[in-house]
Amino acid sequence: MHSLGIRSVKVFPEIHENRLGNGLLVLVGENHSLPVVSYQVHFAAGSRYERPGITGITHLFEHMMFKGTPKVGPEEFARIIQAHGGTLNAFTTTDNTSYYENLPADKIELAVDLEADRLANLRLSAEVLEPEREVVRSERKLRSVNSPFGLVIEQLFALAYEQHPYRWPVVGWDHDLKNLTLEDCREYYRTHYAPNNAVVVVVGDVLEEEVFRLVEKYYGAIPAQSSPHLTITPEKPQRGEKRAVYKKVSQVAAFFAAFHIPGMGHPDLIPLHILCTVLSSGRSSIFFEKFEKPGKAVEVQADMGSPPFFFMDPGLLQIYAIASPSFSPEKLEKEIWDELEILRKEPISPETLAKAKKQVRSAFLQSLQTHFFNGLLVGLYQIRAGDYRLLNQILPGYESVTAQDVLLAARKYLRSENRTVVSLQPVPQAEHDELGAIE
Amino acid sequence: MTIYGVPRPELPLISIHLILPFGAEADPPGKAGLADLTAEMLTLGTRHRTAAQIAAEVDSLGATLSARAGWHATSLHVQGLKEDLDRLLGMLREIVSEPSFSEEEFAQLRQRRVAMLVQQKDESSIVVRERFEQILFRETPYDHPIYGALHSLPRLSRDEAQEFYMQRFLPQGSFWVFVGDLDPDECFHRVEAQCPRATAGTIPSPPFHPRIISGIKTVLVDRPDLTQSQICLGHLGIPPVHPDVFAFEVMNYILGGGGFSSRLMRRIRVERGYTYGVRSSLDLRKNLGSFSIATFTPTETTSRCVQEIFSVVKSFLAEGANPEERSEAIHFLTGSYPLKFETLSQVAQRIIQTEVLGLGIEYLEEYPGKISAVEQEEMIRCAQKNVHPDDVVLAVVGRAEAFRRDFERWGPVEVLE
Repeated sequence: MHSLGIRSVKVFPEIHENRLGNGLLVLVGENHSLPVVSYQVHFAAGSRYERPGITGITHLFEHMMFKGTPKVGPEEFARIIQAHGGTLNAFTTTDNTSYYENLPADKIELAVDLEADRLANLRLSAEVLEPEREVVRSERKLRSVNSPFGLVIEQLFALAYEQHPYRWPVVGWDHDLKNLTLEDCREYYRTHYAPNNAVVVVVGDVLEEEVFRLVEKYYGAIPAQSSPHLTITPEKPQRGEKRAVYKKVSQVAAFFAAFHIPGMGHPDLIPLHILCTVLSSGRSSIFFEKFEKPGKAVEVQADMGSPPFFFMDPGLLQIYAIASPSFSPEKLEKEIWDELEILRKEPISPETLAKAKKQVRSAFLQSLQTHFFNGLLVGLYQIRAGDYRLLNQILPGYESVTAQDVLLAARKYLRSENRTVVSLQPVPQAEHDELGAIE
Repeated sequence: MTIYGVPRPELPLISIHLILPFGAEADPPGKAGLADLTAEMLTLGTRHRTAAQIAAEVDSLGATLSARAGWHATSLHVQGLKEDLDRLLGMLREIVSEPSFSEEEFAQLRQRRVAMLVQQKDESSIVVRERFEQILFRETPYDHPIYGALHSLPRLSRDEAQEFYMQRFLPQGSFWVFVGDLDPDECFHRVEAQCPRATAGTIPSPPFHPRIISGIKTVLVDRPDLTQSQICLGHLGIPPVHPDVFAFEVMNYILGGGGFSSRLMRRIRVERGYTYGVRSSLDLRKNLGSFSIATFTPTETTSRCVQEIFSVVKSFLAEGANPEERSEAIHFLTGSYPLKFETLSQVAQRIIQTEVLGLGIEYLEEYPGKISAVEQEEMIRCAQKNVHPDDVVLAVVGRAEAFRRDFERWGPVEVLE
């Protein structure tokens, strides 16, 4: 194994890049403000790589990565990192699975060693799979089944997408979770957990040469795998509004709506993000002033994520509204669409545009306060957009947006034909029970 | 006048807090939520500007402005870009000294909060914590949520809020915290020139004595639509200034505060698979907070999960911790300490908490040393003295009929709709 040429590319933060002979990309940002470091490994593994029948395996497998190797016992990974003053976790999304340790800078070698060890030597057994399956089912109940709006949002995605894997939740369908096998897990590990399918990001009080040396030392001998052959069915354009009703016990009525928008890297995301900011960011936003302030809604939000959490493939701009107990949900929905129509007819004022730009810039700068988030930006831009250097274009991209760009984006995407709506209709307990079990 | 200034020049950001020495513990009887509601009213109009004008200015600066009560302090906060320091400080000065208490804004705010409380009834993790604290702190100033309750909020009036403001929002005992890309001396001069002069001294919290719980007192909130139960159990904790407080922190890490390193997580999640998460925590309040264990589990494993929690706690008290666990806990608490000072908000909150709880600012420097000095025996004695699994409040939100009988084995059970 040998390293390819090391080169430095200026981004914010400045990132040094190296690629090992096995394809592992290593990105390092030095920041010496505090004696800590964030060590992160991001995999091109998310629910978009799943297929019906094994939904939720990406997330379940994230849990299995803590189940030990011949060198480290089950769940010992966390104990060891914490015993050295570190914090750690992992998360799975539609487009990536990421593992991280935030720890004292002088303990970085421990993180490199443990992460490389579980990439190469994970021990999988039925004994550890069974309790973990129940843990994940409990997590699904927490996030979806017993959360006031979780199942409504699941239905929204399942309705908005007919073919693309974004139609199922990251945590998976309960039936699939019950039936996933150890062999499914082993196959997933072989397919996705390879150095050439990952990027290591290190941000903090470290020296680039030292990090490159450590990563080479621990990951250098792990062989590359052939790239997974995957076909992800694209979603076809929507040609008319889709609607559904979800009935459950609830204190409030609400609706969750979504408009199809492009995936990460597409230039229209910038004016669309400005649109979301104008709609619902801050107390001078349209949704607060028109609906929350006068008590028509408990909450109304427009959301499409923000850098680096835009969807990799064509995603959804979601609008959700929780009606106040004293206000008609039907009327609330109609008034919200009326507000969107205004944005499709007239350009926003120069003051509104300037305000939104400053809000976005300020929020971005606020997010850069932790090494952890700086690392996420780098890693997820690499995994989701294919090039971390696109980070350099975030702030200039927002600065160059015009009111005309925002108007055109509103006209192109915020159309009723491109819209999916799921209404939450509160029902009494007896009717809730008659509709069958939820899981 | 006390002003804390912490220069953090890495990014062009600033965070300013003005802290007033009272909070929701000062809510008069039957007026739950008054302190927090009054605080938010300050952001909703002054003699010079309407609520909409304030909101427009805050947003046009890309800033955030908030005024909220905690238990013992009320925090007025702005955060934004360095280039707007003067305007942000001016705004804070204006809202604290010249609020207008518009009748219309008050009515709308109260309505928004009532609607939020109605919706919150669906959030079982919030409901379980509210019920737990309501019973634990019955007939004390902590017996209600900071944001108020459905039985009190609709009855609060604008005049009551304004009167509360006149009586409470005084310079005495207040202090400032500046963190960010700034020069602390310059901040001091600006505050002196522009703002009401804060004076030394604090308003003491009225002492009170919560009832001691004896036996296991269970309350089940019946939610037949849920498939998973939310659980919170515990009892009174210890005050923030107490000889056992550092030993308690080390001990709690081992029992249930240390994530996967904790006894509770290993048994309840890793070995049994009953839950995604379980955690024990010591909530420090000026008088006396709580020590509690919180988790969630499917309906069918609810009583077994609680049984296991009791079992873990009791064997911990009987066997104690081993030296390796102590050493790991100390390494975590001291090693991860710098990570608690990464953001402007984290730095500000650390300072505010030490000041408000009466720990003294030197606490922040001394913390790692005090944690490292906790001895094995001291930690075990602390657990045996302060953790009482046979005398707890146990609150559960879920399908009561599925597990009510099991809980009756441990003591009286009250079922609520």
